[in-house]
Parts: sequence; C-alpha cells; structure tokens
Amino acid sequence: MAEQRDIFLVCNSIDEVGGVQQWAHDLSRLFAARGHRVHLVGIEKAAEFRDYGTDPSYQRTILHDALPKAWRPRGIGHLNVPRRITRSRREAMVDRGAARLSELFRAARPGGVIIVAQVWAQEWVIRADTAGLRVIGMTHESYEASRRTSRYARVKRFYPDVHRLLALTEEDADAWAWNGMSNAGAMPNPVMATPVTRPDLSRPAVVTLRRLAHDKGIDMLVEAWAQVAPQHPDWQLSIYGSGPDEELLRRHARELGLDDRQIFRGLTTDLDAALSSASVYALPSREEGFPIALMEAMAYGLPSVAFDCAPGVRELLEDEVSGLLINPGNVPGFAAALERLIKDPDLRGRLGGQARESVGRFSPEAVVGRWEQLFELLHR
Amino acid sequence: MTSPTSRPDVTVVVIVYNDEDRLERAVRSVLDQTLRSCEVVVVDDCSTDRTPEVAARLAAAEPRVRSVRLPENSGGCGRPRNVGMVQARGRYVMFLDSDDTLDRHACLNLLATAEQTGAELVCGRSVRHYVERGTQESWMGRLFRRQAVHESLSDEPQLFYDLLATNKMYARDFLTRQHLAFPEDRLYEDMLFATHAYLTANRIAVIPHQIYNWNIVEKTATLSISNRTAELRNMADRISISRDMDQLLAKYGTPELQLRKDIRFIEHDLQVHLALLPLQDADRQQALIDIAAPYLADLGQAAFTAAHKLYAIAAFMVAKRDLPGVLATVDFVTRRRKAPHLTTDLVEREGRVYWCDRHLDDPLGREVLDVTGFGLHDRPVRRLEVGSRLTAVESSPRHVSMHGELVNPLERFPADGSVSARLEFTDRRRRRRRFHVPVELQHRGRRIGWTADFDPHLVLRPMGFVDPVYSIRLELRIGGETSTQRIFAGDAVIRDFRLPIRPRLTTLSGDWLRAYRTTAGNLALRMAAEGRAARAGVRTLRRIRSTTVGGHAWVRVRTAEAAVVSALTRRATKVAAYHRVLTRLPVNRHRVVFESHMGKQYSDSPKYIFEELRRRGLPYDTVWAYADVPTGFPEDARLVRRGSWAYFHALATARFWVDNQGFPHDLRKRPETRYIQTWHGSAFKRMGFDEATIKQATYDRQQRLQQAIDRFDTFLIRSDHDARTLARGMRVSGELMPVGYPRNDALVTGGDPTELTALRERLGLTDDRRVLLYAPTFRPRPGRGPHRMHVPFDLDRFAGEFGDRMVLLVRPHYLETVALPPGLAGTVRSVAGVHDITPLMLITDALITDYSSVMFDYALLDRPMLFHVPDFDDYVGQSRGCYFDLAEHAPGPLTHDDEELFSALADLDTVARDHAERRADFRARFGEYDNGHAAKAVVDHFFVPGGSRG
Repeated sequence: MAEQRDIFLVCNSIDEVGGVQQWAHDLSRLFAARGHRVHLVGIEKAAEFRDYGTDPSYQRTILHDALPKAWRPRGIGHLNVPRRITRSRREAMVDRGAARLSELFRAARPGGVIIVAQVWAQEWVIRADTAGLRVIGMTHESYEASRRTSRYARVKRFYPDVHRLLALTEEDADAWAWNGMSNAGAMPNPVMATPVTRPDLSRPAVVTLRRLAHDKGIDMLVEAWAQVAPQHPDWQLSIYGSGPDEELLRRHARELGLDDRQIFRGLTTDLDAALSSASVYALPSREEGFPIALMEAMAYGLPSVAFDCAPGVRELLEDEVSGLLINPGNVPGFAAALERLIKDPDLRGRLGGQARESVGRFSPEAVVGRWEQLFELLHR
Repeated sequence: MTSPTSRPDVTVVVIVYNDEDRLERAVRSVLDQTLRSCEVVVVDDCSTDRTPEVAARLAAAEPRVRSVRLPENSGGCGRPRNVGMVQARGRYVMFLDSDDTLDRHACLNLLATAEQTGAELVCGRSVRHYVERGTQESWMGRLFRRQAVHESLSDEPQLFYDLLATNKMYARDFLTRQHLAFPEDRLYEDMLFATHAYLTANRIAVIPHQIYNWNIVEKTATLSISNRTAELRNMADRISISRDMDQLLAKYGTPELQLRKDIRFIEHDLQVHLALLPLQDADRQQALIDIAAPYLADLGQAAFTAAHKLYAIAAFMVAKRDLPGVLATVDFVTRRRKAPHLTTDLVEREGRVYWCDRHLDDPLGREVLDVTGFGLHDRPVRRLEVGSRLTAVESSPRHVSMHGELVNPLERFPADGSVSARLEFTDRRRRRRRFHVPVELQHRGRRIGWTADFDPHLVLRPMGFVDPVYSIRLELRIGGETSTQRIFAGDAVIRDFRLPIRPRLTTLSGDWLRAYRTTAGNLALRMAAEGRAARAGVRTLRRIRSTTVGGHAWVRVRTAEAAVVSALTRRATKVAAYHRVLTRLPVNRHRVVFESHMGKQYSDSPKYIFEELRRRGLPYDTVWAYADVPTGFPEDARLVRRGSWAYFHALATARFWVDNQGFPHDLRKRPETRYIQTWHGSAFKRMGFDEATIKQATYDRQQRLQQAIDRFDTFLIRSDHDARTLARGMRVSGELMPVGYPRNDALVTGGDPTELTALRERLGLTDDRRVLLYAPTFRPRPGRGPHRMHVPFDLDRFAGEFGDRMVLLVRPHYLETVALPPGLAGTVRSVAGVHDITPLMLITDALITDYSSVMFDYALLDRPMLFHVPDFDDYVGQSRGCYFDLAEHAPGPLTHDDEELFSALADLDTVARDHAERRADFRARFGEYDNGHAAKAVVDHFFVPGGSRG
C-alpha cells in the first residue's frame, strides 16, 4: 500500500451539473478508498445544482456562496465607480477564501498534495499558503480547445509554477510542453461504469449520449444517418441528451426526411438501458477532452464510430482495432463507417471486444495507481 | 528528501572556468528543481578568479553541493566533466555549464521519463537565449515536437542533429558499463560523447519539455587575430572528432546511420566553419580548405547527393579544393538574417542548369552542381534575388560615381536594351521617404556592370534628426516587372564610402551619409557628423537626450510617431475606418470594383464582364484590385493594391462588387452595393458547408463564413448541377443567375483570333505540333509560402516519346509555382505567367487534368480530355469527398500511371472518338447555360441604363 496522504481536490464548484464535478467526486471516493484523507473544495456554490450523494469517506467545503463576476477596468472603464466597488469587494472575498484555504492546507501532514482541477480555481490556491505541499494543476480539455478560449492565457499565467500541470493525454501534454509549460504531464480520466447488462450486439440500434450543442456535432450525425437510414430501415438511431440546439436539430432531421421523434429521446438517467440495448456507439463531436461517454460505451463492449477530433479520442480508440476513426467533418465517411458496422456483425463483435479490453487501461485501479506514483515522485 | 548520506536520484555536474559571476545562478537552478532528490558536483577547471571561493561557499551552505578543483587547467570541457562523472553518486547524471541554467522542472521530467520507459538516455529540448537581443529559440526544435521512445538510433536517425551532451540525462550504470568519457584533448567533445551514448544506450527517450537554457552572447562578425588562428585548430579538431565518430559508427552503427552522420557533417558541421571563411585572409582560407579536403574526399558519394543542395555544393568544392567555388556558395547561403548573394556564374548544359562551368566532367560534380531545382532560370524576375556588389566609388565634393556589378543568371536580364535600372535610397524607418538615382548598365558577358553618376547634394535630401539610416538598393526594370537587389561591398569600399548631404531641417543634424554593413550583410547608410557645425549639433542633441527630461521627451516623440505610423497602416485600422467612416460616404453610382482570385490575376469572369463594359463604352468608374504587382492588369482601369487605403475606399463607395472568390470576409457590404459573385468553377469536390474542414469548424467560424456568403446578391451558375451542389453547399442566399460563366463565352464563340495569335507567338507555339494543356487541381500542403508543384508523370519520357508531335503547357494553380528543366523547353513549357486560362484552353488541342474544375469548362470545346489520377483512391476516398463519381461521368479516360497516360496520348484521336458521346453528355449536364452570351446578359441586366437593375 502506498503512503497515505492528505489530498485536497479544488474545483470551481463541487455541486454543479458537469463532467468535471462528476470526475472530482469519483476520484475523491477512489482516493478515500485507498486510505487517503481527501478534502474536496469548491470555490463557489453551484448555479445549476446536482446532488452527488453524501459519501462520508471524504470531506467537502465550499468557500463562497456567491461571488461577483470578475472584471478588469480598461480605458474609460476606470471611471466606472460602482463596478470598481464591486471589484474591490470581490478581491476582499477572494482573499478571505484564500485565507480559508491556507488554514486547511496548514493542517495537512507532510506528504500532502493539492490538485487544482480547473485553472480558475488556481487564482485562490496561488494566494494561499501551500508550504510543504505539492501543487498539481489540471486542464480538463484538449490543448486545441483551450487555445480557442481565454483559458489558454490563464493556464500560462497561473500554472507555470505548479509542480505538475496535467493534461488529459500525452499528446496534449506534449503540446503544452512544446508551448512553454515545462511542467506538463498527462493523467487520464478513470472509467467508472460497470456494465450491469452486456449488449449482445444484435439489436439494430445506433446510440449516442451527448449534449445537444454545436461542439458535439449532432448535426453531422443526423446528416450521416440520413445517408444510412434509407438502406437500413430496420435500424434505429437514438440520441439521448438535451441542450440548446434541440429544436434546430429536430428541424434539421425533419428536413432530411427523418423522424425526429424517434431519434431524439431526451435526457436519460438509465445509462445501462441506453447502452445495453444498442449495437453501435456514435461520437460525432467537433471537440472533446477525454470523453467519458465514449469510455463507458467501450466498457459496455460497443463498437464506436468517432470523428478523430482530439487527442483524447485517438488515445481511446485505435482505428480499425477498437473502433473506427473518421477524419473530422467527413460526413460521408462517417456514414460509410456506420454502414460497415451495420452490415457486418463480426466486425461489431471484434471491435467491441477490443474496445472493452482496451478501456481497461483506464480502470479506477490503474488510474489511481498512476496518481499515487505521481505523488511519490513529487515528494522525492 | 535527500540527506548527504542517501543516494540522490540525479547528479548534475556543473563545470566552471573563471565564471565567478554566473556559477551561483547555475547551481541555484539545480537546487531549485521541483525534484529535490538531486545533488550538484561543481568541477572547477583551475580558475584564476574568485570562482573557487564561490564554489566553496555554495558547498558549505548546502549539503547537496560538492566541489572539486582540478590541479591544472585542462582548456576544455572534457576533463572536468569526466572528473565530475567519477564523483557522481546519483542514479542518473546530467551536465551543466556554469553560464547556462536548467529549467526548473528539468530533472523531474527526465527522471519520470527514464523510470517510465526504462531508457538509459533521455533527451529534452534546449532553448538558446540570445542575451543581448533578449530573444530565444529552440535548438533543433523539430526533433522535440512529440515524446517518443526509440529502441535504437536507427529508429530516429534525425537525432544526429542534436549532439549536445547537456540536454540529456544518462543512467550512471550505463555510463560506467559502456566506459563513456569525453575526449580531453580536443574541442567538439560533446559530439563524440553523444554519438557514443546514442549508439550504446538500451533505449533512447525524447521529450518536448524545455530542459536546458543555453545562454548565447553573440559574437560580432569580426574575428580577433587569435580567433583567426584558432580556426585552423577548430577545423582540425572537427575533422578528428568526425573520424572518431566514424569509428564508433563502424563498430556499433549501420551504413544508414553513417550516411546520416555524413549528411549532418556536410549540412551543419562544415557550414559552421565555412561561414567564418570570408573573415580570413586568402592564405588561411586555402589552409582551412586543405585541412578539410581529404576528409570530404573520403566521404561516401551518397551523402553529397542526399544533403541539402547548396551545402552539398560547398562540400564538393572543398573536396576539390576549389576556394572560389567554396566562397561563392557561402555567399548564397541564407543563414539567420544574412541575405543570399549570387556570385557564381550559372551555366546551362544539355537543358540543365549548373552552378558553374567547372567540375562538370566529374559524374558526381554533374549531379551535385545541377541546380535546375532552384528555379533561377524561370522564376519571375521580381523574385530573382541575386544581389549586387559595389566595387568602387569615386567622389569629389559635388560629384559621386558609384560602380557595381551583378551576375546575370542565364541572361535573365537581356542585353537588348529592354532593362533599365536605378538606385533607390530609402529611409529605413519610414519607407515612403526615398530618393532615386539613374543608373547606366553595361552588359559584360555573364555579368552586368553598372555606374551611377550624381550630385549627392541635389539628389539626396534627407530630413535630418528623424531619418538617421537609409538603405540602398539597385532596381532593375524589365517588361513592367521590377527586380530589387540588395547591395554588398567589401570592407575597403564600405570604409571609404560616404556621401555629402544637406539635410532639409539643418546641417546641425549631420552632413554625411556613411556606409555600414547591416546584420543581413548588405550595405546601408547612416547619418554622420564631421563638419564643425554638424559635430556641435549632434553633440548638443546627445547632451539633451542624456538628461532625464530630454531623454524621456525624445523617446516619447519617437514612440508616438511609430505608434501613429503603425496605427495608420495596420489592417485593423483600415477595417474599422471602412465600417465607421468610409461606408458613410456617398455611393458612387458608377463605381465598379473588380477582383479575380483575391487580386492575384486579371482573369476569369470578372475580366470578361469588365471587357464587355469597356467594349460597349459604358460610363463606369472601373477599379481593379491587384495583390502584389500591377503587371498584366488593364491600363484603362484604376488599379488599387488589395489591402491599401484606396482599396477599402473603393469597396466602401462602389455601386457594384464583381469577384470570383470573395472580397475580404470581414468587410460588411453596405445595402446600396450590389455584389455579383461570378464564382470560379463548377464543383467536383465538396464545397462550402459540405466540405469537411468547414463542417468541422466551430460555430463562430461557420457563422462568419455564412455572413460572408450572405453578402452575395447574385451568384452565377452554369447548370442545374451548380444549383444542387455549389450553391447549396455554400448556402447561397442570393439570387442564382442561370446565364453561364462570362469567361466561357469565348469557349463557345471561339475567342478573339488576334489575341490568340499573339498568345501563340508569345509562347513560341509557331510549329504545327499539337498543343496539350496540363492543368491539375491545387493540392494544399502544410506550411506557408508558395507551393512547389509536382508533375506526377515523367516529363523526360514525355519529351522523348512525343516531343516531335506535341508541346505540353504546364499550368500550375495560382497558389503554386513550378520549376521545369530548361532543356525540355522545346516541348514542355510553364504557362504560370499567363493570367487568364481561357485563351490557353482555346489554343490547345487537348487537356490533361485530374480533379480540377477546368474539366467543366474545357468540355465546352469538345476536344479530347484525359484524366491523369495516380492518386485517385487516396484523393477521392480522403476527407474532402466529391459530388459525383468521376469514373462514371468523366468525358475521357482515367489514367493511373505513366504507362496508361502515354498509351492514351499515343492514340489521342481514337480516345477522342471513343469519348465523343460522353463529352456531349458531360457538356449538357454541367454546362447547360453556357451559350456564349453570359457577359452580355450580365451587363444588360445590371449595367445598362434602363436594364432591370441599372
């Protein structure tokens, strides 16, 4: 058994709806199960609340009930007195939050680590007293996706001095390292799903679980399906999820001659039912980090078709071995790949079997083992 | 945490010699590592300054530091590092020089990788920091883009380009087992050590992380006398180390690795020394060449043919002990910021271009010296940068006479009087201020001499104070094109060259322009004060600037001026002014702005609409946008450079925009302006929102593209196919105008016979051989700059088999360039310089293409067409996707290799006959609206008063 440590896991929020929060609670539970003393810290209360259960094995703290929005005066904005007052109030709150963190950190025994899950939270950690602890910063999206947002500049500003900066894949870590972050390393997400019912890959159904938003590429899946469906009327596409583009996508499907009521199934909480009743998983995203939904499909032994849009997807799926990878945006190619799987049950079985085996690399034990190795290295 | 007794993970050997100031910084960079389990062994090479005290202090204060002092100075890095290695106790060892530092995470990154991969050798990225300039760049960065683990050097022979010892971590038991040690008696000890390590490590891991900060204090371009002598020893050591590397390679390596090492020697090691050659006197130059010559003569021939061409020529010249030949290659090498200068006389032999006329009887020489691929014989003269030497200057108070010379590569500047020239003096800070001096040219065989006689007082009128530096260039003009040459000069000429001037403000600011050499190596002029008044003036100014207030004021004025100039010329400023000011000006009802292929050409449908307007004498203010040079654009239209203020003004106030591709996407079109989008071809490949790259794009990017397309008011189409594919794929919301393409009118009506005859003559198509046009599609490749077109069939064989019956015109895409061997010029010619492809189609008898939209237009001519598609599966199956099956509809045979292509060509008439019906189908399907009256229809509709939209 590895050394038992004090682990602080700091997120923007710990009770918000979202992938990072789910990951943080999962990881806290896994660490606690290994005997570590885990403290999950959220900077701010959720805007959209979700209940992640009340596992007593780890502690939780939320620093602020509500924070005013950050604002930096520019040009004539310097004269905006009300905003300047709000700003100094916010500064004072951040300082109080950081002081609170310092208290928690000082109570830690030697060998402790702080994991900052999102760069926004690092603004607090950087102001806190972290003496004797090792700080690990994380970026939960692909390097390219980060490039397109203000988070890129913030990673460069707030993370250069953390002991380790973790990206989701080695390829993303390399991109960060090449671009000046010499503390970059990689740490994958663990796959938490344990299949209850195994799909037998004979049902004529293609499935995806995705938010209905532009970056998830559902429009491209619908277009591809419009090319496949006429040849295979017995097959059914099911899209589970909701999101801002739902109406647009439904209209798009109708225009392409598809029955949107059959395709769009809304949100589901029953992952097992959704995945075990399908034979093919589709991941048409334009952007991904390290897609948990794809890992879950793989854990269920489903063969997948995905656009090769990010290192995280490449890391999970090996083309023609554990799934089919299509050049981003190549909709006819995506359709052709779906059709190949529809027509060829043997291929489904082979890819699905490989997928299940390959996703074992990201089992909770394997991932927690990697974390513990990293803690050990950082304290050498 | 490490105590002095436990074994550390990493030992860093820091070597130092007389570097008391920086030693602590280097040691500190190790102690501050995120990995704490490391120790420092300082090895002092018997310094004579206070270095030993610094080392002792560090060792006393910090248990992780030990210090060793050599009894006598070794004069190199080898012995201290060897001593340090013996002292090391860590499981891994690294080396650091006292003037450099380690990145804070270096040890952790290397150690983690070594432990994960089990590699005994781990390499990371070095970054060179230029201390004075404050800039930095990766050393051999391309080797470090991604992490990798190699089982042996053969898996990644490119690593030979990184032979530093310092950016690596070595397992200590590996060093002991393989008896790795640095040579102690020679320079370049790193190279031998790194080679030995690469060849014997169980495994080599590479990581992209920045590991080593290599501080570089740039040497001036002059060598001290001791350095000049030292160069002889340097060269000898380099050769000796290389020979030892060859021995290691013979023992542990492979022939492939040996070749890689040889190429590295030619491209890199030798170049380091050759670059310093011009700074030596002639005797020592010859002595240096003589040291290297025997080694190069022993080198395998393969290295010469595989190495970068220019470096291979240099190495070959060294092997031949041809000193002038070596110096000419040094002149033409582009290194860092040094500009290339062509000083060799190219020759043409049997249709190939050679570097010089010597050594061509040697088969290797013939191969190495063949520089046809440089394209100096057929690139446009405006891109012919050969440079010119200023050879002599005579001056008297009111008269200066400058004499210079330049090579005339393959007589690109003909002696028929068509070339004119002038000197241009440009204010280096404000390019608009420039003065010109006429120049006389004298053609002397393969060289051109030039002379400029002028009175500097009259011609050069600088302002004074604000324009202290001028550059000087030679401009050669031929047929509307300008070729601008940098000027080079020897030390003596530069020393003596000065021009008397009278600045407009006051001579207090200076009274002479004095020559100096820029970092690029060419000649420039700097204002100097020599008369009493000027000296006093400059002195006073310097005094004012040296005070706090005066200095601040000076800096403030200069920054303010620079800010104003840059703000006025920045594109963002122009775009903002376009939206906020220019588009509020009244619309000129008669202004029409034309553009073809983003200003690259005067061509395509915009050209034919323009010509129809002109033919009918309609009173419009026609404006053409050009991208680089106005050559080839009509003289009776107003020409504006794309991106200039005039361009934005014209667009903002135009009644009509006519274009075939897209005016800048970020410009909003005002409602009064009508945008006629002619487009530039029907679609085979998927376009617009059907294209993978656009489908894949973010929401914002898709929106921006959609907004740009929504500006189109009218979109010309030539068939229902266009409406179903192009217009739908691009989500065109404007009106579709089914009149066909104006550019294709001539293909239906036969075109203007005088124009066609003139074009035939211009291209030298005077005999009765059949003329073929080869026009493939654009193949995007990564990287910037013009792409080199690759012709996917054997041109020599084509010329051999068909040269008596056919001529091939090669048409690269407008974003590509092509370099064809001049020897084939009788049979194969580039028509890259012809703007408009329509007349080219008319004068040809058959077309070879692949997936280009030219197929749709050429089909109107009902002449034979061949589709040469060796990469069919790859291209069609690849990400872009297509709108129809080419094999099913193509109006000619698809050929997949040279054999198929040449047999189709041999039997062109049968091929034509067999495909007559398919051609008719194709024409009907894709060109149904092309009836020869498109230009007229467009003009009638929009531009004739009383027409529907006049």
